[in-house]
Amino acid sequence: MTLDFSVILDNWQLFASGLWMTLVVALLSIAAGFLLAIPVAIMALSHRRWLRTIAGAYVEWFRNIPFIVVLYIFFYGLPFMGLRLPEPVVGGIALAFYASTYFSEVIRGAVLAVPKGQLEAARAVGMSYFMGMREVVAPQTLRLLLPPSTNTAISMIKETSVLSTITVAEITYQGLVVQGATFAPFEVFLTTAALYWLITSAFAHGMHRVERAAGAAQGSQQARHSLADKYLQLGMRRNK
Amino acid sequence: MTRPLLKVSNLAKSFGTMTALRDISFEVEAGEVVCIIGPSGCGKSTLLRCINYLTFPDGGFVEVDGTHIGREPGRDGKMRMQSHKRIDQLRPMMGFVFQQFNLWPHMTVLENIARGPVKVQRRPREEVEHQARALLARFGLAGKEDAYPSALSGGQKQRVAIARALAMEPRLMLFDEPTSALDPEIVKEVLLFLRELADSGMTMVIVTHEIGFARHVADRVIFLDGGLVAEQGPARQVLGDPQNPRLREFLAQIHEVAAPADLSTPSH
Repeated sequence: MTLDFSVILDNWQLFASGLWMTLVVALLSIAAGFLLAIPVAIMALSHRRWLRTIAGAYVEWFRNIPFIVVLYIFFYGLPFMGLRLPEPVVGGIALAFYASTYFSEVIRGAVLAVPKGQLEAARAVGMSYFMGMREVVAPQTLRLLLPPSTNTAISMIKETSVLSTITVAEITYQGLVVQGATFAPFEVFLTTAALYWLITSAFAHGMHRVERAAGAAQGSQQARHSLADKYLQLGMRRNK
Repeated sequence: MTRPLLKVSNLAKSFGTMTALRDISFEVEAGEVVCIIGPSGCGKSTLLRCINYLTFPDGGFVEVDGTHIGREPGRDGKMRMQSHKRIDQLRPMMGFVFQQFNLWPHMTVLENIARGPVKVQRRPREEVEHQARALLARFGLAGKEDAYPSALSGGQKQRVAIARALAMEPRLMLFDEPTSALDPEIVKEVLLFLRELADSGMTMVIVTHEIGFARHVADRVIFLDGGLVAEQGPARQVLGDPQNPRLREFLAQIHEVAAPADLSTPSH
């Protein structure tokens, strides 16, 4: 048996467009998922029980069902409610909600890891809960957030492959198309695997460098501070 | 008739079935230094945290210079709880210095001091930084403006924490165990520093278990036991001639332990 990779070269445009679709959907749904996770985490950390209950139910609901089922619920449920959206959008929304539950747990853990006295000191000088969270707690969670967020984001990049089932033309879907036309599944899926590997390992490598920069900043706190500022720009409204 | 700067009346706080504060009432005059002493677990720290509503008391009143914080009697005589926003506004009337200082590690010393006034009081940054630099200079910390808290010694951290509280221009200062997180050698330094702060006219309420410390810094001492004020009076009287049997016992026990910190004997 011999591998014939010419079928890949003949169909490179399909793979390229699949790669592009995966990148766009993954990036947007991870970013949206993280933003959505912030209010969920705030609710989960609230001292009001009903807010904690809502956040807990939300997280439990999404975390205890497979993503493919979540996807089908959105895919068939949204038109049922009269909302017709393009498949990549529906897939992206479903993934954003799914990711938000994991990210919210990551954020909650990072906030809890900041000593309680930090927020208390903010309250003592008259800051409200939210101002104290923003000024004092949030910047300190950055270093704690990075490693678990990277893990979650990589899982979510891989979950985008499930969108192929609702005909989103991402890497796996294009792979299936090429496989159907060429009957060369081994070549096709090795290529698909290589493309996923390329994305996730590049992402992991990039995040690792950010982590190192944040870690090194423990010695020279200045760098960590500017990183914290970056995080604030990304994650929440910057007040200045 | 002058009214007290701080008036605490019938303060009560329970955690579940554990009663930390039963019924605490006392007053502090402007310029006074009051030490609150008592066995561990008697509710000293809880009391301090209830005074500035870091912990909400279950009952009772706190007044600073005639202004209620937290619970206040309405015009109809009924109690009413202030909004959280109002409590947040009033809280910095009392500067709070934490046992572990709780400096913000991601900010410079200057920023630790300036962030509160800039964000909470919305004062111009330039003016606030000028004031912060002056405080640091006064506390012997000139040149440390751009350092991060991790680079400071324990005593320096404490002074930054005090400066951070003072920058909000409080009416009085609350100290939670100011000596317990520091090396024994610098307890005297802290004592002199607090004495100096007191001499500048600052009203202070200090929770401590160091009797030697209380003896030297306090005008008045309050002994807390079982969630109640068991004895209070001038420091010399309370510590020198205790009436309450529990206080006697407490002082006898602590005397041996605290002997090295007793600053009246210069060599030990």
